[in-house]
Amino acid sequence: MVATQHPSELNPLQLYRQASSILRGTSRATNDGWYQRPLEQQFQLHLRIDGSRAETWIYEPSTGRWKSAPDFPENLILEPSKIAEFAKTSVALAKQAGARSLGIILHIADEFATTEIKPQLDNPGALAELREQIVNDPFAVLDDSSLSADEHSWRLIPYPAGGSEAIATAIILSRQADEFVAKLRAYGNTNNFPVVVDAFSAPLVALLTLPDLKTGPNDNPFIGVLPYARFTVLAFFNEHGDLRLLRTLQHRGQRRPSNLRHAVATTATALEMSAPEIFVLPLAGEPDHQMVSDLKLVFESSSIHEINWRETRFHKAETPSISPELIVAAEIKQVAETPLANTNTFVTLRDEGWATQSFLPMPLAEAEVFPHRSEMKMLRAAKYARYGLFAAVLAVFGWVGVNILNMIRKPEWTFNKQEALMINGRLSMLGQEQKKIAHWDNLLEDRSKGWASMELLARLFPEKSGFLVRSFSHTANPEVTPGQAQVGFIKEWRISGLAREEALIRLSDLNTREGISVAFTEIARVTGNQSFRTDLPSRSVVVNVKTLENSAFKPMPPEEMVAADESTYPFMFDLTITQRFEAADPMALNVAKAP
Amino acid sequence: MNYFRQPIALFGFVLPIVITIAVIAGALMIKGSVTRSFNEKFAHYRGFEQNKRQALAAEAEISKKREYIERWEALVSEETASAVTLNLREIEELLPAKEFQKTAQDHPSGRKSFAGASAQNSSQVALAFRGTFRSMQKALLELETRMPQLQLQELRIGPENQSNSLNFQVTYTAWEK
Repeated sequence: MVATQHPSELNPLQLYRQASSILRGTSRATNDGWYQRPLEQQFQLHLRIDGSRAETWIYEPSTGRWKSAPDFPENLILEPSKIAEFAKTSVALAKQAGARSLGIILHIADEFATTEIKPQLDNPGALAELREQIVNDPFAVLDDSSLSADEHSWRLIPYPAGGSEAIATAIILSRQADEFVAKLRAYGNTNNFPVVVDAFSAPLVALLTLPDLKTGPNDNPFIGVLPYARFTVLAFFNEHGDLRLLRTLQHRGQRRPSNLRHAVATTATALEMSAPEIFVLPLAGEPDHQMVSDLKLVFESSSIHEINWRETRFHKAETPSISPELIVAAEIKQVAETPLANTNTFVTLRDEGWATQSFLPMPLAEAEVFPHRSEMKMLRAAKYARYGLFAAVLAVFGWVGVNILNMIRKPEWTFNKQEALMINGRLSMLGQEQKKIAHWDNLLEDRSKGWASMELLARLFPEKSGFLVRSFSHTANPEVTPGQAQVGFIKEWRISGLAREEALIRLSDLNTREGISVAFTEIARVTGNQSFRTDLPSRSVVVNVKTLENSAFKPMPPEEMVAADESTYPFMFDLTITQRFEAADPMALNVAKAP
Repeated sequence: MNYFRQPIALFGFVLPIVITIAVIAGALMIKGSVTRSFNEKFAHYRGFEQNKRQALAAEAEISKKREYIERWEALVSEETASAVTLNLREIEELLPAKEFQKTAQDHPSGRKSFAGASAQNSSQVALAFRGTFRSMQKALLELETRMPQLQLQELRIGPENQSNSLNFQVTYTAWEK
C-alpha cells in the first residue's frame, strides 16, 4: 500500500512524489473504477438492511441479471471483525466475475428521519449550493443543531411543489455504518482494487418507484405510504405530481405506526388535499392489509392502491425476494413512460441524483489524499512525455554522437595545422621561383635575334632572283607606356637594292599584307622563331615598297649580265617592313626587375 | 480541490522539458563546437590538399626548367663583355678566318632600346664584323644560342668596298642579373 499524507501537509515536490508513488503503486491511472460511483461499476454488490432482515445481491449491468450473494449477518456493519472477511469475499467475487472494480451500495432501510432547514433559506435557486453545504457544514443549513455531526449525516430533499412552506427538508441518518464503509474502502486501497461504496436512504430511492406505479394523469394530489419495518414514510404530492412534504412515523416496536390514520388525514387536511389518491408500497416484506383498511376509514372517497410488486417491473421472477429499492437504484436510467415520471419532482430526484445521495461518502480529507482522475491522467501523460523527452534526448545524443564520430574518423580531424603552414611556405617559395622563371622566360624570349633577321633577308631575296641588295638595317625598340607591367615593341627592317624586271612581281607580292605574312610565317616555321608569327591579334605587320628607275641601267642581253653589276638592274627599290607587338602580346617585355 | 495539478505540471512537464531543452542545447553546443573545430581543420586540410597539389604541379613544372634556370642564372651572372669576347673567340675558331672576322667590340654606356624599357639590369654590346653572309649568320646563330640573354637591338649590313665581304654592325642589349 502506498503511504500517503494529506496534500495540505506537503510541499509541491512532495506532492509530486506522492502522486508519482500513487501512479506507480496503484492502478488509479489505468482503472477508471476508482473514480466511478458504485452504480456505474460493472460489478455491484447491493446490501439492504431494514432492522429485521439483511439481504445481499450481486448485480452486473452488462447482463442486467441479479444473483444472490453470500449472506452476511444482519449485524455485520456493527461487527468490525467481520468486515475484512466480507470485503475479501466480495472482492474475490468481483475478480471471479472478471470485474476490475467493485461497487457496494448500502441501502439503509432501518432508519429515516426528517428535520427542517432554516426558514430563511427560502431561495430555490440556492438548492445546489445548500446541497453541498449540508454535507460539509450541516449546521449552517439545519434549523436544529442539537444532533452531533460525528454521529449523523444529513442530506437535502427539495420540495419543488409551488406553495410549499419550505424549499426542502433534510433527511437524517446515523453514521453507524461509517466504520463498515471506511473499512471496505480501506480494503480496496490496501489491495489496489477499487472498492467504492455509497450509502443510500432506501425510502428516498423507493420514491422513484411511484412514476411506474401511478400511471394515470396528474390531476389529483396523491400520497405515497412507504411502510418499513421500523418506520413509515409519508410522501405528499400535489395534483401536479410535485412533492410537498415528507413525514416519518416511527413504529416504536409495533408493526405499523399507531397514529398512521390520524397523521395522514391531518397532514392531508393541512395541505388542503381533498380525496387524494393513496399508494401503499409494502417495503417491509409481506403486505400489511390492515394498513389499507385503516386508511380507508379516513379516506373514504379516495382511491387507495396497495402495490403488489409482482405486477411491476420491480419484481424479478428468478430472484423474487429482491427489494424494489435495489432494482430502482440499479436500473435508475430506465424511466417510466408515465406523466408522473416527467414531473419536476421526479426528474429532479432521478436525474439530479437527489434520491441517490450517498449519506456516507468518503471523507473529503481522505479523498483529497489521492489525485483526481484528470490529475492521474495528466501524471500518466507526464510519464509518457518523459519517455518521449528521454527518447528525444537519446536521439539527439545519438545524432550528435554519430556526427562527432564521423568527424573524428575523418583524416581532417587529425590534421596538423603546422603541415598546412609548411606547405603554404613551400608553395610561396615555389611561387617565387615560378615568377622568377617566368620573368627570365620573358626576358630571354627570342623576340629579336640577328640570325633570324638574316634568314628573313635571305628568304625575301634569294640568289638569282633578280635582286641585288645594297643595304640592310634592322632595329628593335620598345614602346614605353608608363604604368604597365609589360610593354610592346616595334621591329623594323629597311632593305634597299636593285631589281630586274622579273623581280618586280616578287616586290609587288611582298607589298601586300598576305604576301608579307606568308613570308614571315615561313621564317617562323623554318627558324622556329615565334616572333615572326603573324597570326596573333596582338601583332601587326606593315610593309612599304618604293621602286624607282635605275638611271645607271644599261640594257644588255641576259647572257652578258653579271649579278653584281648594278647597271644591269633597271629598277631601284626601298623596302620597309614594320612589325608591331602590342603590350598584350606573349612576347611583350616585362618592365619589372627579376624578383 | 486540485492539489496535485500544479506540482504535476511543474515537475511532470515543465521541469523535464526545461531539463531536456538544456541537455539538448548542451549537446547541440558541443556538436556546434566540434563542428566549428572540424570545419576549421577541414578548411586547413582542404587548403593543404589544394596547396599540396599546386605545389606538386609547380614542383613538376619547375623541375623541368630548373636546369635551364640554373644555366640562365649562370649566363646572366657572367660579365657580358668578357662572355661575348670569349664566345666570339670560340666561334671564330669554328669558322674560316676569311669568312668571319670581328672588327670591333664596344660596350656603350646608357640604356637604350630594350634596356630603356625594363628595370632589369643590362648592358649594351656593339660589335662589328667583316665576313660572308652565311658565316656571319652562323656566327650570330651560335652567339645568340650560347648567350640567350642577348636581344638584338640593331643590325646593319652593307658591302665592304675592298672585297666581296660584307660589313656587319650589330648592337645587343644583354640582360644581366
